[in-house]
Amino acid sequence: MTVSAPPGMSGPNGNGALDRIPGPVMMARGVHKSFGQVRALIDATFQVDEGETVAIVGDNGAGKSTLVKILTGAIQPDTGSLELDGTEVSFRTTRDSLQLGVTAVYQNLALADNMTVAENVFLGRVPTRWLRVDRRRMEKESAELLDSLAINVPDVRARTALLSGGQRQAVAIARAFRSGRRLMILDEPTAALGVQEGQKVLDIIEGLKGQRVSIIVVSHNLDHVFRVADRIVVMRGGRIVGSRRKEETTTADIVHLIVGTRE
Amino acid sequence: MVDSNQAQASEGPARVRRGLIRYRQLWALLIAVLLLWTYLSFASPYFMTVQNLTNIALQSSVVGIMAVGFTILLIGGEIDLAIGSTQALAGTMAALLIIQRELPIWAGVLIVLGMGLIVGNVNGYFSLFTKVPSFIVTLAMLGVLQGLAFVMTSGQTIGGFPEAFKVLGHGKVGVIPLPVIIFFSVTVVVQLVLSHTRYGVELYATGGNREAAELVGISVRRVLMLAFIASSMLCTLAGLVLSARLNAGHGSFGSESLLDAVAAVIIGGTSLNGGAGNTFGTLLGIILISTIKNGLILLGVDPFWQQVAVGALILAAVLVDKTIKGELAPGDLLPRLVRR
Ligand SMILES: Nc1ncnc2c1ncn2[C@@H]1O[C@H](COP(=O)(O)OP(=O)(O)OP(=O)(O)O)[C@@H](O)[C@H]1O
Ligand SMILES: [Mg+2]
Repeated sequence: MTVSAPPGMSGPNGNGALDRIPGPVMMARGVHKSFGQVRALIDATFQVDEGETVAIVGDNGAGKSTLVKILTGAIQPDTGSLELDGTEVSFRTTRDSLQLGVTAVYQNLALADNMTVAENVFLGRVPTRWLRVDRRRMEKESAELLDSLAINVPDVRARTALLSGGQRQAVAIARAFRSGRRLMILDEPTAALGVQEGQKVLDIIEGLKGQRVSIIVVSHNLDHVFRVADRIVVMRGGRIVGSRRKEETTTADIVHLIVGTRE
Repeated sequence: MVDSNQAQASEGPARVRRGLIRYRQLWALLIAVLLLWTYLSFASPYFMTVQNLTNIALQSSVVGIMAVGFTILLIGGEIDLAIGSTQALAGTMAALLIIQRELPIWAGVLIVLGMGLIVGNVNGYFSLFTKVPSFIVTLAMLGVLQGLAFVMTSGQTIGGFPEAFKVLGHGKVGVIPLPVIIFFSVTVVVQLVLSHTRYGVELYATGGNREAAELVGISVRRVLMLAFIASSMLCTLAGLVLSARLNAGHGSFGSESLLDAVAAVIIGGTSLNGGAGNTFGTLLGIILISTIKNGLILLGVDPFWQQVAVGALILAAVLVDKTIKGELAPGDLLPRLVRR
């Protein structure tokens, strides 16, 4: 990871952030990304402001997951730059972005099914005491965390493989929430879920909105998008084709942008 | 949400039940070993003697040390087919340096361990950085290392270690041979690391879902590199112990150990897909194999049947494992033609 300018007084968790004028937390400028012949992202410029919840919508293959992965360092852009709190950053791996408080729940959830719920919540940042993994702390804190998110998981010592789709989603969200104090990205958090479980996840997101964390949600469900988002960004064929504040737009407008019948 | 009162009340029995389920393969294996021992002690009066049991333990030790290394790698989802060759090279190098070149023992041992470090790094480098599967990389290394062992000694056996070196293979603490103590210590220490350190958790996670491990910020390459190095270093240790025990080094020593080590690890319940397993299962697996080999000899069976037995055991263990996991219905074993 390279940080080209010092973060200054108002670092990600510094007190100075409170009196700052809300500005972009994360900014991607002119990002291109190709996979062989496929141009997944074309000149994408995108930003999320402090405390804002942005939804990214677009058809299958529009480039949403690719953009999200570039924001966390899971993949690297061919060209283009990223800024976090106004400082240019380049993430070589997700470890780099995690350290700066950026986390994601990826579309495939990225859970290790052979591990327990508690282990999955802490994966990547397992607490130790005298070199020994502090399982008691992991179990206690993950139970508390899941509780505070109103997530119902019967036993944090159960293998993740045994959980339902909604519970798995919840575990992934809890993990992201633990380290994503600056920016949390959720890639299709409700796609695999039933109506009730989907509502639960939306409740969780709305709960997060009160907590000063910026959120990016990728979703195909426009009802969900209109419920949680402050702003809606539309992608088509690898390009960002529109950005609308929720109050200024309608479902029909967004649908036209998605399918390309209106610019 | 966890109801803490309820969790507290059911803590004891639940814990026992979880233990029983989680370690069912260990229990089954332990019972299998005990049954076999009971049978053999009736079948041969010689079986239950201290001498014979010591032999079984000694036989288990050298392969066992390598099998523990194999367990680490397989948990991480990688494989090392060069374990036998690494061991053979370590033994011949020790003989070459300490006997022929008359280096001090410590210097010879250090150089051999350094070789193990290099081999581990080479295996790891090509498997993790060039995207060639470790199966292929270590198969190639199997040939390279085995060949080097023969080239360095022109295919000769070099014998006659100093007494101080032979202790490694012949020493005893009380009545227990040193190799057995080394094997047992390696088994315990490695499992403690796997179960209770951050490294262990990250290794299991990597083996379970490598992409996920990567995404949550685990340095998958570092984790697996260490596993490759551990495997090679343990093979090197096994090679030193074996050459001390045989008081000689030769390129073919330990050529059978790959089969036995893999069998022990699989019988011991380490998942072929990675992400699950432990060294105590491997320990029981190797004891089971050594017992079977020993039993065949005591029962007067042609020793060449041993390899057939071990090979068949690998297949049986995999099939049983898949059936238990529900990935294989016993009916699927019959080809469609026969089933109609
Ligand atoms: N690792 C990869 N290798 C090759 N092509 C890829 C890879 N990842 C994405 N693509 C391609 O890039 C394009 C954009 O994919 P992306 O996953 O970003 O779409 P998406 O908007 O998230 O779609 P969905 O709604 O289906 O999740 C697609 O054409 C996809 O096939
Ligand atoms: Mg996607």
